Amino acid sequence: MKVRADILKTYQSLHTWTGITSSLLLFIGFFAGALTMFAPEIDRWATPSKHQMANIDTERYDALLDTVLASHPKASDNVILHFNDALSPVSWYEQGSPRGLRLDDIRWHATLDENDQLVAEQVPVNRLSELLDMLHRTAGIGGEIGHTQSGVFVLGIAAGLYFLALVSGVIFLLPTLVKRFMAVRDQGERKRFWLDGHNLLGIASLPFHIVIALTVCVFAFHDLLYGTLAQVYGDKPLFPRNPPSKIERNIADLPKVSEMVALAQSHAPGYQVAQIKLSNLNKPSAFATIDVVNEGEVARGALHDFMFINPYTLEVVSSSVAHPEQTVWARLVSSFFGLHFGSYGGDLMRWVYFMMGLAGACLFYSGNILWLEKRRQKGMQQRRAYRIMGALTVGVCLGALTGIAATFASSKWLTLLPVNINQAYMFVYYASFSCVMISAFVYGPAKTAINTLKVLALLCVLIPVTSVLAGLVPAVNLWFPNSLGTLMVEVIALAFAVVFWWLSGHVKRRAMANEPGSIWHLETPDTITSNLSVKHS
Amino acid sequence: MKNYTPIQADWLSKTLAGLIGGALLSFSIIGLFAWFGPSGLNSSLSGTELLWKTQFNMWLSVPIWLLIISFTYLFRTGAQAWFCLLSASAVGYGVLAILRGLL
Repeated sequence: MKVRADILKTYQSLHTWTGITSSLLLFIGFFAGALTMFAPEIDRWATPSKHQMANIDTERYDALLDTVLASHPKASDNVILHFNDALSPVSWYEQGSPRGLRLDDIRWHATLDENDQLVAEQVPVNRLSELLDMLHRTAGIGGEIGHTQSGVFVLGIAAGLYFLALVSGVIFLLPTLVKRFMAVRDQGERKRFWLDGHNLLGIASLPFHIVIALTVCVFAFHDLLYGTLAQVYGDKPLFPRNPPSKIERNIADLPKVSEMVALAQSHAPGYQVAQIKLSNLNKPSAFATIDVVNEGEVARGALHDFMFINPYTLEVVSSSVAHPEQTVWARLVSSFFGLHFGSYGGDLMRWVYFMMGLAGACLFYSGNILWLEKRRQKGMQQRRAYRIMGALTVGVCLGALTGIAATFASSKWLTLLPVNINQAYMFVYYASFSCVMISAFVYGPAKTAINTLKVLALLCVLIPVTSVLAGLVPAVNLWFPNSLGTLMVEVIALAFAVVFWWLSGHVKRRAMANEPGSIWHLETPDTITSNLSVKHS
Repeated sequence: MKNYTPIQADWLSKTLAGLIGGALLSFSIIGLFAWFGPSGLNSSLSGTELLWKTQFNMWLSVPIWLLIISFTYLFRTGAQAWFCLLSASAVGYGVLAILRGLL
């Protein structure tokens, strides 16, 4: 396809500048996002199995809820019934609430014993998956604007730039699209391998990337957009206004749990009830959220569909469940969310989104490498922008990976220390990230990459090693994964370890070629060469 | 050899035109869609319908706006971009006002 030369040139510049300004933020967002596809498994992996209590039969939930509400008045503000074998049947917050990233939440878990006596325990909430989710949504940028973390807005802007980068990338690829696609040349100029790989990744996963770019913009800026939309609506309200209820509520009038489950089953046939969250039970504003799952449908949430009901009248206030009366708008909006979260098609789709997230991270990294290679001058003397970008690329990408790996590797050990585990996670993440970042600027990208990749591999190996140790030496008081999901966390960690170790060797060979001016150039290659020869002899 | 006038870079003015003019234009399109598209605001919408339709309208603004920004760089100059986007949105809001007065 022919495109005018001036248009190609314009869109090539647009692609370069939108890409280089957003790529590192997006790298963190995509890598952490890929991991959050398995957030429930990760939290179960990180939580000692003794923190979850024995399951009970469905018909005993009524007795359980009554006992909890009678003996723990605080539970009436926010109590969750779990219908999942891996979780305690009921939990409520002594401090904090289920939403958002707070580091010092304390939650009660409880169950009934054989004699219908309440067994309850207070445990700190392990928020490992929420640390990942925070990185996913903010790239680790702190601070708040209004009620939103400022990083969310930064990533929203990055997503807008990313959309421009996608459109411009496709435009300037159009003339050679067919020829370039599927041709990964690793011969000839080194740049070509990165260029072909970048094009292949970008074109092959283009629909996914378009979805992500658009949804992230909406997630970040929906308040502003609703504000603007209100101007267009004039005197019409944006949303139906329900006057707040003034009816006093008494827990004694609360319908049975079985009635709520039955309501969910009649409203959403084919769905499983995952949990029922009851809030403000003593107040006129009492409401309940029933989370339901059907892997055959597109879910509105990351894991579930939602039904908002009035727990006293059992009236469905609003629901995202697919049912015949659902309007086309509800279906479309739910599918936008589902497409971002990958919450359709069950585990298969979660694996696909996991791989696509990792591929996205590779796309952004390869884009940065291309930017660097293109700006490299002959000889040792390089521009400042080149040196800074080289260090930033290695520092940010490997820094985020190391931070996450170190958090996972230390997670189980941290439970042995008398510290708030969530604050410890934050400390481990930011400390590791800063170390790699500083090293990238002080020792240069090549040395940092070779050593950090090795550290990364070791940290990843430490994850399964910890479990093996827990199995062999019960005295250390750690635990072994007790389900396929949690075991897979360790298998994936091991796979990452192999990849990182291999990459370290690859970067080392690249540094040995010692091209002057490359970011992989080592000023004193001797130390590394001598290490290598020792290894080979 | 060129038989066309090449487009000017005009990065700053085109970007601002896309951001501001593009926002005006995209919300004029959303306005027309919200009022006179399917499940429009003049028809009697149930609470649930309004709840989801408003969300859909909000969602739609983002792809339209971003596509306008993306293609703003095709205008020959920044001034042309501003002129076209502003006049198109003026037309959009004009039509919206007239139709709302009539219907």
